[in-house]
Amino acid sequence: MALIEARSLAKSFRIPSDRRETVREHLFNAFRPRTFERLDVLRSVTFDVQQGETLGIMGRNGSGKSTLLKILCGIYRADRGSLRVGAPITPILELGLGWNPELDGIDNILLLGTAMGLRLREAKDAVDEILAFAGLDRFANVPLKHYSSGMASRLAYSVAFKTVREVLVLDEIFAVGDAEFRERCEARYRELSAKGHTIVLVSHDPRVISTFCSRALLLDEGRVAFEGRGTDVVGEYSRRALTASAGPARA
Amino acid sequence: MAGGTLMGASLTTASARVDVAGMLWTLARTDFKTRYHGTVGGFIWALLKPALMFVVLMSVFSFIFASSPNYRLNLIVGLFLWDFFAEATKTGLTSLHAKGYLLAKTRFPSWILVVASASNALLTLAVFLATFLAYLVLAGRAPGAAAGALALFYLLMFFAITVGISLAGSVLFLRYRDLNQVWDVAIQAGFFVAPIIYPLEILPERFHFWLYLWPPTPVIQFCRAVLVDGVLPTARANLLLAGMTAVILAVGVLVFRGQVADATEKL
Ligand SMILES: Nc1ncnc2c1ncn2[C@@H]1O[C@H](COP(=O)(O)OP(=O)(O)OP(=O)(O)O)[C@@H](O)[C@H]1O
Ligand SMILES: [Mg+2]
Repeated sequence: MALIEARSLAKSFRIPSDRRETVREHLFNAFRPRTFERLDVLRSVTFDVQQGETLGIMGRNGSGKSTLLKILCGIYRADRGSLRVGAPITPILELGLGWNPELDGIDNILLLGTAMGLRLREAKDAVDEILAFAGLDRFANVPLKHYSSGMASRLAYSVAFKTVREVLVLDEIFAVGDAEFRERCEARYRELSAKGHTIVLVSHDPRVISTFCSRALLLDEGRVAFEGRGTDVVGEYSRRALTASAGPARA
Repeated sequence: MAGGTLMGASLTTASARVDVAGMLWTLARTDFKTRYHGTVGGFIWALLKPALMFVVLMSVFSFIFASSPNYRLNLIVGLFLWDFFAEATKTGLTSLHAKGYLLAKTRFPSWILVVASASNALLTLAVFLATFLAYLVLAGRAPGAAAGALALFYLLMFFAITVGISLAGSVLFLRYRDLNQVWDVAIQAGFFVAPIIYPLEILPERFHFWLYLWPPTPVIQFCRAVLVDGVLPTARANLLLAGMTAVILAVGVLVFRGQVADATEKL
């Protein structure tokens, strides 16, 4: 049995025609009908992930990759379909933003670490290791608001890599940080994969998908448009990108 | 494993287990740090606010209500209990919004954020109560065991009431971004609905029932009874308070559970 089974997952967002975010706006517009535009991000997505496998997901900007990952992790809720996840997931999503700017590095590590499932004791013991992995030892007591955005992302990924449960879900992970940090993340990632962790990985980078993923999906129009070996999906992805850009030029 | 069918989508996922106590402690500690810049002086400032209020109100109203016995003690107990209620519900209302950065990134039981948001108000109240008890002992009016146990029970109910209000408020705030202004008005009016600066007895008996429906009223009145007057409220009164607390907490939990899944999309 597959570790993750997604069947006909669908998700749409309702974008209201007018902004009603306050009690006042709701009261004053109570008798004015409100229309919603429906944005069907995922129409019907079906796939399996086997234990120990690395699955890549590619797709254009806005094709719903991050939305799909958030559904997998239980952060968003699917409208329809069924999802079975057989093991605990550690999400490593767009982590750069998730901080309290007033707190220093250590306190932020403890907050995010416990939220991601470490016991407080474990989080405290891991602080030095996390700072070392991020290369931020000197900034341990500096409030996050004085970090550069790259430094903040490095810290987030270092915490997340330390908290890994059985399944790892990564969104654009290798796009942050400088070359040296990316190298270190990839090494850590290979280590986890070798240990038998199951990984779902979103990336626009053909090199990442073709080297790390034995199998990959291409998301388009809210469906799995293509499925195959990593290298094949990369080929299909660039072929589609080329026809898309050539299209308007011919017209 | 947790399973369920939510709006047509069937979901089976392994539950995300967290160290609840460790996370509550970390949230409380860092909240204290950001609120008071990690200094004791900052915290004393927080105690000073209701204390100053007490001095001002006492100098005016203790003349008006000179005939009322224990007016001063009742006033200070009422003020600090009220201050806890107002602070805890105000921070509770914005708690999910303020900690949204954690919710958007990972999954954990989000009620932890709401409960932890009351920690600063709870600490202020605890320091006041310790001081107040010390005063009672020195003045030879130490409450007995039954009175002390009841006071603890009332505080527990009060905490549960604020958690219930905060749970519902925190998810509704994500939908109605001016809910905190509406609540501020309710809090300002509620200060006068609760018998804090005036003794309840000056109002006609037939109004009392309605005033007791405002949750801070029974808590403040009962705490005064056991701590200041040395009178134990009846079992029926205690049961009514427990029932009211259960209703508020249950409504809070239901609203929270119904809304929280969609709420993360609105952060
Ligand atoms: N919380 C939300 N509310 C409303 N619309 C949303 C929300 N989250 C995502 N969307 C919409 O869903 C669509 C897909 O977004 P998503 O972030 O999943 O794309 P993506 O494939 O990850 O894109 P990228 O490659 O840029 O990361 C977008 O059109 C976006 O506007
Ligand atoms: Mg994305």
